[in-house]
Amino acid sequence: MKMFKFWLLPMVWIIVFTPAILVGQTADKNTLSLNIKYFNDYNITHHLLISAKSKIEGKFQQIPNIPVQVFISSDANKANLIGKGVTNAKGVLLINIPAVAQAEWLKSPNQNFIAVSPATQKFEEGRGELTITKAKIKIDTTAGHIITAKLVALVDTTWTAIAAVDMVVGVKRLSSILNANETASYPTDSSGLVQAEFKRDSIPGDAKGNITIVAAVLDNDIYGNLNAEMVVPWGKYYTYESNFDHRTLFARRGHSPIWLALLAYTIVVAVWSVIIYLFFQIKQIQKIGIE
Amino acid sequence: MEKLAENKIIEDLLPQKFGKQGVIWVISLMIVCAIGAFAYARQLYYGLEVTALRDYVSWGIYISNFVFFVAISLVGSLITAVLRLTDVHWSTPLTRIAEIIAVSAIAFAGLIIIVDMGRPDRFYNLFTHGRLQSPIIWDVIVITTYLFVSLLLLYFPLLPDLKIMIGFKERNGKWLQKLYEFLGSFWKNKPAQFKITNRAIHILSVTIIPVAFAIHTVTSWLFATTYRPGWDSTNFGAYFISGAFLVGAGGVLIAMYVFRTHYKLEKYITNDHFDKMGKVVVLLALIYLYFNINEFLVPAFKMKKSEEEHLMGLFTGEFSPIFWFAISTSMLIPILILITKTGRKPNAAFVAGILVVVGSWFKRYLIVTPTLLHPFLPMHDVPTTYTHYFPTWEEWAIAGGSLAGALLVITFFARIFPIIPIHETIIEAANENLPHENV
Repeated sequence: MKMFKFWLLPMVWIIVFTPAILVGQTADKNTLSLNIKYFNDYNITHHLLISAKSKIEGKFQQIPNIPVQVFISSDANKANLIGKGVTNAKGVLLINIPAVAQAEWLKSPNQNFIAVSPATQKFEEGRGELTITKAKIKIDTTAGHIITAKLVALVDTTWTAIAAVDMVVGVKRLSSILNANETASYPTDSSGLVQAEFKRDSIPGDAKGNITIVAAVLDNDIYGNLNAEMVVPWGKYYTYESNFDHRTLFARRGHSPIWLALLAYTIVVAVWSVIIYLFFQIKQIQKIGIE
Repeated sequence: MEKLAENKIIEDLLPQKFGKQGVIWVISLMIVCAIGAFAYARQLYYGLEVTALRDYVSWGIYISNFVFFVAISLVGSLITAVLRLTDVHWSTPLTRIAEIIAVSAIAFAGLIIIVDMGRPDRFYNLFTHGRLQSPIIWDVIVITTYLFVSLLLLYFPLLPDLKIMIGFKERNGKWLQKLYEFLGSFWKNKPAQFKITNRAIHILSVTIIPVAFAIHTVTSWLFATTYRPGWDSTNFGAYFISGAFLVGAGGVLIAMYVFRTHYKLEKYITNDHFDKMGKVVVLLALIYLYFNINEFLVPAFKMKKSEEEHLMGLFTGEFSPIFWFAISTSMLIPILILITKTGRKPNAAFVAGILVVVGSWFKRYLIVTPTLLHPFLPMHDVPTTYTHYFPTWEEWAIAGGSLAGALLVITFFARIFPIIPIHETIIEAANENLPHENV
């Protein structure tokens, strides 16, 4: 009976609490969603941005440190793996579409991408899919500082003009596009064209006055993010004039403004002349005392 | 009869050997200095790492101490120059006290800056690489100038007294006699010598006033030319100077009491001196209070977001106990004490003087530290310890050592030279005895 009592209590503890602990562990895990964005970088390279999100305490939050594998095509097998990595502090992972994926890329006018994240201690398995239609922008200029951009998409094997897609036309700045004029975006016409008059006449360019004009489709559900750019000599010449050796209050030693130097040295000379004069007066007193 | 009075004045005012209390006082100061020197040796060996100075608070109590020393040194120009030029004679017994306070304070102001630099050898770079556009260079120039002007103002009136002291060869001892002879053996009480001396003192009195104003204005510009909450003020020059005159006058009240009591100088530093000096302190405290109201009320009325944290930290936050302590002890309580006739009696005035000086030291701490903790653009990714400042024992020891050092200089000066001008006292006593029309 004593032995039975000895075993009974631990057994009850295990029976009661083990399922609760297991349920508790399962309940702690959050669902994870992976969102994929496609970018055509100036018709040269392509990349994907994968962001990991989860609803925590009623709010969607970007999740850092999530391991993600990205596949080209709808089949997530090892042969289609184009990249893997871990989401950064902002919960985002950038994957460049490598040249080795060219064979798969050329198979169809539409392209599927899959992002997969294995289950972790805190999150369930995550998965995201994206299908895009391959498209590109052609940019050109015409007389009178007119920017012309054309959107074409691959239909079967032919690049076909696409109408009614919003396009941004402007000047490339550090991390954004400055509109070419007061219009923020233009819908493409039946020829897939937009035209924007360039009105930023005073915008500074490089040492030759060159600026980069850009046409872009942003966050389109079918085509993703597309960009095209062109260098044109429409900017103002900008030459840097160093004032390093000028006489300023913030200049280096020996380059103080003349007025400051005059003022300071006059005061110093005046006061120290008095001090030196007084030292001579002490000598004079000595002389009188010796006489 | 006149000769008897003269002899009595000389006997009373000649420097005296340290008594038992004096020896204890000197040893105590030397111990504090030695601890400070040991702490400084540690700072030299280990670097500024031994201090609590970090990226936020890079100027701690060293610079507070520096501003305090510069402030208290201004008293030399107030008592010696301003009162002399305005023909106020009651301050004659106090001139040398004020001047030696000025000289010792300004000397230690220079030293404490070198301590703050961490690497003293780099002081040399200030001369080889210093820019004329920097207020730091102006401060170096003006401190050196003020030290020389103050030394001259100490030396010229001392010449006739040196002649008197040389006459007491046996009393002086070998070394002091040599020192007196080196400094003043050429003084023969000739009218031409008096003429030159009087003119020199007059020139120095005129010169020292703009130099004194410059020294503390430039010190204030070290802060005001920097764009930070609490320092970005056009009021700073006048605010600093008014505070400096106050703390200097408070220091003189303390010194007057100590010398009068210790050397039994009641006949020379009279109740009337305390009464008049007390009134001066009240006036200076009121002026400083006015500038404080300007300095804090106007920004508090606007309460700009970027300055709010700094101001609220002073009024009700982390620094509020020190802030209200400093305001009360350096201005409000001394005004309340010294505004009454009873409060201007020696004992009460001495207490008021101590309150002014202690409160003023903490006021300088408040000028430096809270502002550094609240920059307009907070730094990122710094350890949380950087956002608070409390000096390490090394900093306290060095700051304490420098204060003790300044007191030691004053003490030794009083041991070697007459702390009240003997010759001027004899002349004034003789003038008082003459019929009015002959004066």
